[in-house]
Amino acid sequence: MLLASTYNEFIKITAKPRSYLGLGAITILVGVILFALKVDGLSMISFVTTSFEQTLTFQGNLLNGNLVAFIILQMLIIHIPLLVALVTGDLVSGEAASGAIRILLTKPISRTQVLLSKFIAGGVYTLCMIIWLGLMSVLIGRVLFGQGDLMVLNSDGLVILKENDISWRYLGGFAVAYLALLTVSTLSICLSCFTENSIGPIVTTMAIIILFTIIGTLDVRFFDQIRPYLFTTHMAAWRSYFEVPLPTAQITKSIFILLGHQVVLISIAIIKFNTKDITS
Amino acid sequence: MIPPSIRVLFLLFFLPFCTFAQDASTLVAKLSAKMNQVKDYSVQVRIQSQIPLINIFPVNGTVYYKQVDKFRIIAKGIAILPKQGFTDLAQLLSKKERYSAISTKTEQVNDVPLQVVNLLPTDETGDLILVKLWIDSTKDLIIKSQTTTRSSGTITANYQYGKQQAIGLPDILVYTLDVKKFKIPKGLATDINRTNIPTKAQPKTGKITLTFTNYQINKGIDDKIFKN
Repeated sequence: MLLASTYNEFIKITAKPRSYLGLGAITILVGVILFALKVDGLSMISFVTTSFEQTLTFQGNLLNGNLVAFIILQMLIIHIPLLVALVTGDLVSGEAASGAIRILLTKPISRTQVLLSKFIAGGVYTLCMIIWLGLMSVLIGRVLFGQGDLMVLNSDGLVILKENDISWRYLGGFAVAYLALLTVSTLSICLSCFTENSIGPIVTTMAIIILFTIIGTLDVRFFDQIRPYLFTTHMAAWRSYFEVPLPTAQITKSIFILLGHQVVLISIAIIKFNTKDITS
Repeated sequence: MIPPSIRVLFLLFFLPFCTFAQDASTLVAKLSAKMNQVKDYSVQVRIQSQIPLINIFPVNGTVYYKQVDKFRIIAKGIAILPKQGFTDLAQLLSKKERYSAISTKTEQVNDVPLQVVNLLPTDETGDLILVKLWIDSTKDLIIKSQTTTRSSGTITANYQYGKQQAIGLPDILVYTLDVKKFKIPKGLATDINRTNIPTKAQPKTGKITLTFTNYQINKGIDDKIFKN
């Protein structure tokens, strides 16, 4: 029954025009970034390497598909939560507003299962988004810019990864990025259980992400205690896959914190949804 | 009219400098002649870089060189090399008019007496300011060089020879370079996942080791190779 309900929920998502906004936005944004990098990518790279190039020269294809994919992922991972929340924030509240939730809950399926099917459908939609982003950035990037070693800039300096050591890092990075976006999806569905209009959960989700990100970046000692537990802190955990040596403990911690958020948010949503008055 | 005794004193004072200058010129001319035997070469290279703020694995590639200044490394992947040092010396030594050689002293390195020669480029407006060579005069080999340029600072190279010692091509070349100026652009490297990281004291010099194998000398190299 859960599977049938999930299928039903996913069909409802695909029937909404706004669901394609995210995919369309990713396509256009990636297209614009690819064009910009093709036209003036080398000068963008030199901005990073200038201080090194006073003494050193970098030989080889620096601006390759792997670097392009990394740049795209870094640029877009900030914006994709909005595109995810745009669809998932509406899954419960939209039906509550239209009254469709009353008909849905007359079916021989528990409220918990109905809600879980929405979470799963939201998760599948988020997965589609991240796969599309991966295809657009990694595959199209490699087709347009070719293969090559990946030069990554992090707070410790430049890391140059061998071409044959990159694909698994992207798989791991995308998996962690998916977990982060799934947390956003879970948050927006949870908030959706508390209201009966579509805009509220979407805007609140974004407001929470902005607030937590600001708390995360402010160098204030008071926030040091809470910063490690904010899910936004771990939204950049995908980058850890591109460090040498691989910070396994840090990645595992991020995964557990993101999963912990999801469990808590799903639990809150189930409790709220099971006690929700749908008659008025 | 200068008295004869003063003339003798004058000669005695300046003679050693003239001899040194002549020695240095002869020594460098010998080196130059040795280097000129190599019209072109290609060689397999393994590049190992130990540079602060840069984490890179060793890279394999092929070096192509053709007189006087054609030089290219084709590596599988990204390789990091010193900006100066490969062709500067060959270019400088290619014509006598390009430098003035001054012998300064003799230094004992690994129980081998090395003649220290300073090469001053005659072109005062060029990037190259000074080249200092440590030469094994018994074998006519450069054991160490120090190149100072306006743009890149000072780069030191240590040469180790093997099979190609007779024509002055090294098997191992170790560059030591100044990396004090290296900076990470903060705005680009911001990682909210890593805050309050204590800044580690970085070494002020970096090292790039090139290990050469399988020299192909004077076999002819197509100019197309040097075009990107």
